[in-house]
Amino acid sequence: MTTPPQSGHEPDTHVPAEVLMTAFESPDPDADAVPSGQNKAKASGQLRDIWRRYKRNKLAVVGLVVVVFLMFLAILQPWITPYDPMEQNLLNTENPPSADHWFGTDSLGRDMFSAIIYGVRLAMIVGWSVMFLSLVVGLALGAIAGYRGGAIDSLIMRVTDIVLAFPALIGAILVVQIFGNGVWQVIIALAILSWPTAARLMRGSTLSLRESEYVEAARSIGASDTRIVTKHILPNAIAPTLIYSFSHIGVAVVAMASLAFLGIGIPADKPEWGRMIADAVPSLNVEGQAHMWVFPSLAIVVTTLAFAFVADGLRDSIDPKLR
Amino acid sequence: MAKFITRRLAHAVLVIIAATFLIYLGLFVLGDPFASSGEKTVPPEIQEALREKFGMNQPFFMQYLTYLQNMFTFDFGIDFEQRRDVGEMLAAAVPATARLAVIAILIEIVIGLTAGIVAAVSQYTFRDVFITIITTLGIGIPVFVIGIGLRAGLSGEWVFPAVPRSFTVETPWWQEIILPAFTLAILDAAFIARLMRGSMLEVLRADYVRTARAKGLSERKVIGKHAFRNSVIPVVTYTGVSLGVLLGGALITETIFEYQGLGFLLVRAIQQHNNPVIVPIVVFAVLTFVVLSTLVDILYAYLDPRIRLH
Repeated sequence: MTTPPQSGHEPDTHVPAEVLMTAFESPDPDADAVPSGQNKAKASGQLRDIWRRYKRNKLAVVGLVVVVFLMFLAILQPWITPYDPMEQNLLNTENPPSADHWFGTDSLGRDMFSAIIYGVRLAMIVGWSVMFLSLVVGLALGAIAGYRGGAIDSLIMRVTDIVLAFPALIGAILVVQIFGNGVWQVIIALAILSWPTAARLMRGSTLSLRESEYVEAARSIGASDTRIVTKHILPNAIAPTLIYSFSHIGVAVVAMASLAFLGIGIPADKPEWGRMIADAVPSLNVEGQAHMWVFPSLAIVVTTLAFAFVADGLRDSIDPKLR
Repeated sequence: MAKFITRRLAHAVLVIIAATFLIYLGLFVLGDPFASSGEKTVPPEIQEALREKFGMNQPFFMQYLTYLQNMFTFDFGIDFEQRRDVGEMLAAAVPATARLAVIAILIEIVIGLTAGIVAAVSQYTFRDVFITIITTLGIGIPVFVIGIGLRAGLSGEWVFPAVPRSFTVETPWWQEIILPAFTLAILDAAFIARLMRGSMLEVLRADYVRTARAKGLSERKVIGKHAFRNSVIPVVTYTGVSLGVLLGGALITETIFEYQGLGFLLVRAIQQHNNPVIVPIVVFAVLTFVVLSTLVDILYAYLDPRIRLH
């Protein structure tokens, strides 16, 4: 087999930036049509730029559609589910998918379709709450550490070191073990484990902006520290942290399901994908009962992949330099 | 370099002390480890004996010191459930977990490096796109879904032993390990492939690679010697950290395949609120994780001298 000359790729990197820009933008007719309505949308110009870059990534658009769809399922869950997900029917257990029960029934005769839709709501609540909590705490502590420096910086960084010393799943188990089982306990456990990375990212970008000229300028006209951090540093430093937190939604959903799979965290009276898979384990090799683990697994995979694609798209569109 | 190592080691020791303190505080002070919970009742005399053993009737600071001393002398007390010496249980589980971790790491290095190099060398071709899709799936699909899928599809077929195990069938260790090792390796192999592709592409653009090609070296030498050595550094880091995680016990994989390692033991102990087993395993997991991360940092500074300047 002959290998093609690798140096053939070299010239690609030397294409002038302007050429690249037009090459990327011209095939997109919507992007060129935008300037006509410029006056109206001027305030959100940056958002429009982000959206234009985001649209180029087809996978990210698919991911966004799936995420929006999941959010709708989560909100409309009480009206969509045909059965009460906890209602047992011991005469109709472990049945494969049928017209009555689209995803079949589990070992207690509960409707799997209803349980999985209910699981969507739980996953969305846990995923978004963990993201929000770790983002808020991470931004605040990271900005303080980066902007103030000194003792408070060392203190916050040592705390992040200690939290990061626990392998993720073991740390979460430990926190749940201390606080007990429950949805909020799981959310708090996962947030405790994810804020340190957010804080470190925020500290890093704050540090690099602290000495920049425009911050110096703001300081010289007498802006207070609070104003400098919230109005000048935060908008420019938020991108990496925001992207990390968003990509962490899928991770949080998987972590919740992993804990539930091990019988930890989410209580048994809430239908949860990981627990549904764990319930299917005894009948794994039984012919005709694959639906019991296939459908919850698909739900988890679709959710995590969708959020991962959206996070990828956001990373490329919010801050192209990060790639 | 010596200064860097000393600083890094001191840092690791501090983190370990703080982490063990937190574990102690969480499991012994915030929750009484010897209390009966749920349907479980612990006889009062055993509660008393264990309190005595762990020094629970002493002042807080003394308790903490006794706990540290017990950890150092491998005196972990008695398992609530089977009334066995916890030290013995750990001695049986640690080698099994270590074996699994090492084999999983070997598999993921071979698959990950090969896939990463192939993808980088043939960038934007069908092979590259195919590998990218596979790695995206490998990273996106949770470990327990992969494990359950493998167990449902393969266990009991060909050479793979049936799970759950039967007491009458003896299986050699390599048969037992093969499915869990692949389950563990898939996620990390995908990560390594991605890392390797990224850093390889970066290195291939460097001037010294062009020089190597210009002086007429074969493509095999350019990739295998010049590009590989410099692009493998991030993979070394990642593999070290991931070994640190795996040595602490692969909770989910070991549970799925009923593999008798630390992770299996820990999950069962947690379900039984069996604190004397939970504590040493968690401490061990944190210890291996921190020690390996530190070693990786030092190795990284050795491999890439630019790092030492920070």
